[in-house]
Amino acid sequence: MDIVTQILSGVFAVGPVAAMIGASILGVFIGALPGLNPVMAIALLLPLTYSMEPLVALGMVAGIYNGSMYGGAIPAILLRIPGTPAAIATTFDGYPMAQRGEASRALKIACWSSALGGTASAIALMTIGPILARATLAFGPAEYFWIAMFGMASIGVLVGSDAVKGLMAATLGLLLGTVGLDQLSGAARFTFDQVWLLSGLDLIVILVGLYALPPVIALAEAADLKGLSAAQLKLEPAKVPWSEVRSFIPTWVRSSLIGIGVGILPGAGGNIAAFLSYNAAKSASKDPDSFGKGNPAGVAAAECGNNADNAASMIPALTLGIPGNVIAALVLGALLIHGLQPGPQLFHQNPGLVGGFMVQMLLTSLLILAVGGAAATKVFAQVQRLPGVLLVPTILVLMAVGVYVINGRVVDLWIMFAAGLAGYVFEKVNVPLAPIVLGLILGPMAEQNVRRALLISRGDITELVTRPISAVIALATLGLILFPIVAAFSRRRRAAAAKR
Amino acid sequence: MERRQDIALGAIFAALGLYAAVKAAAYSGASGTYPMVLGLVLAGFGLLVAVKAALRGQAMPRPLTDHTGRVIVTVTAGAIYLALVPVLGFYTASALVVVALPAALGFRKPVYLVLTAAVFVAIVWSVFSIVLEKPLPTEFWQTF
Repeated sequence: MDIVTQILSGVFAVGPVAAMIGASILGVFIGALPGLNPVMAIALLLPLTYSMEPLVALGMVAGIYNGSMYGGAIPAILLRIPGTPAAIATTFDGYPMAQRGEASRALKIACWSSALGGTASAIALMTIGPILARATLAFGPAEYFWIAMFGMASIGVLVGSDAVKGLMAATLGLLLGTVGLDQLSGAARFTFDQVWLLSGLDLIVILVGLYALPPVIALAEAADLKGLSAAQLKLEPAKVPWSEVRSFIPTWVRSSLIGIGVGILPGAGGNIAAFLSYNAAKSASKDPDSFGKGNPAGVAAAECGNNADNAASMIPALTLGIPGNVIAALVLGALLIHGLQPGPQLFHQNPGLVGGFMVQMLLTSLLILAVGGAAATKVFAQVQRLPGVLLVPTILVLMAVGVYVINGRVVDLWIMFAAGLAGYVFEKVNVPLAPIVLGLILGPMAEQNVRRALLISRGDITELVTRPISAVIALATLGLILFPIVAAFSRRRRAAAAKR
Repeated sequence: MERRQDIALGAIFAALGLYAAVKAAAYSGASGTYPMVLGLVLAGFGLLVAVKAALRGQAMPRPLTDHTGRVIVTVTAGAIYLALVPVLGFYTASALVVVALPAALGFRKPVYLVLTAAVFVAIVWSVFSIVLEKPLPTEFWQTF
């Protein structure tokens, strides 16, 4: 009971409440602006959270995450331009509805569906998370090491189109995580006699570069000089009758379950949840041909599915230290800023904070109903009148100020810039960025635990795989790495058999 | 899979991994073992990417930019901006880049630009210097 009181008193303090409300509004704005995305926004936000209370910082992350996932529906419906990648499926029926003059109705359905999907997801996080965390009580250094390896392998293999490139990126991240003073022996590694490198590469500096600069360059390439006209954004008021709302209930239940399932899987994201939910709604419909032509159930399924992924992606992140998607990786980064090491021990050492964040994910999902209503949506749609080209230098300045205030060092600006350019090229050559970030986050934990395990076993390497739990996780990791190779072989065999 | 790009990418990662492994081998005891193994694994994955591309890659065009000219303008302006921050001060350099970069990208409304720069820099100043009280590189005119 004490912990519940502690969580609620923490979450409902003035700072966290103001942070959740402000960030939810900001999140909808960010989602509504094509070219900006929640990953970039949270990466830009993290440097500012150093001096904040952890629950204020996490409340902002939760608000931006949930708000922007709904905000992405606004341009998807009005312009057929998904504000976030997860809103692609929303364009299928949302835009035809807008063309029929039903934009307001589509936006209302998107708003309610997003809020419900996010709420269901947060409830899943609050119920499954603690159970999974309890199961990790038996973990020792060997298990922690394999959990980190499993997380790395899952993100490396499942994110992106090429598993080998994903694993290569993960290894690069782990290697970058070794830069600086070795925490066990105090030896300087890869520091090239530079004092500023002794503390290692700053995670947030790399994060801001990797996730904010590539979209900035993409905005510059698009060179939108005009923005949209007021006429393009005119919305007529609309009502959604109760009978129609009731008809969405099966779609909302199905899409919530799909979104939660996808969220728990490391590597899958909101866009996959939205597509699967959309396809499931279409398959279950008595009139599947109406999908893609302005069926409101299509909007409800896609938006509910992509928001149901949000909190669920935090389940493996908060209990095991394995983020379900990039934003979950950023949340782990936010925790690191406040001196909290992600991993299985996080839940046990900081129950008030983890529990508070779960409640914040729930509250910010519900806040979408307040900040994403019809009138508010009208306002948010207006941000699209801003010429995209003006966002290029403004984001660049925000990146610079955010990075500079971390350590007050000009060299960090150049590290951020170099990381951003590398990120831009990596994206072009299909090297996923998430495994690099995860390597930086989990690398130190993996190294410390493997060395601790070897110290305990006096150098006996078999200790890493002879304990039952570590053996299971090690086998799962191996299976995950071998999975794409086996799949490629079987594909080739099937293709050869088909030729014969 | 674009053959030439992936061969180059794999080779770069392999070289990076090998360099890291050699460098780590010089570190004493367990401090060097872990990064050395990682370096070798990275080199292995790099080689795998390069070999895969050489054996099964196709010469399919995969442009590295959507609009090379604008990328060059943006990256150059970004680099100049970062170089100017410690010289001119944070807010002066920021105001300059907010005005100059959109203009370089083809935005031709000077009044709109100057207003945007003024409003934006004022907001950043209020948040970082007034509310958060963060020390930022001093403006050049304050040093006279």
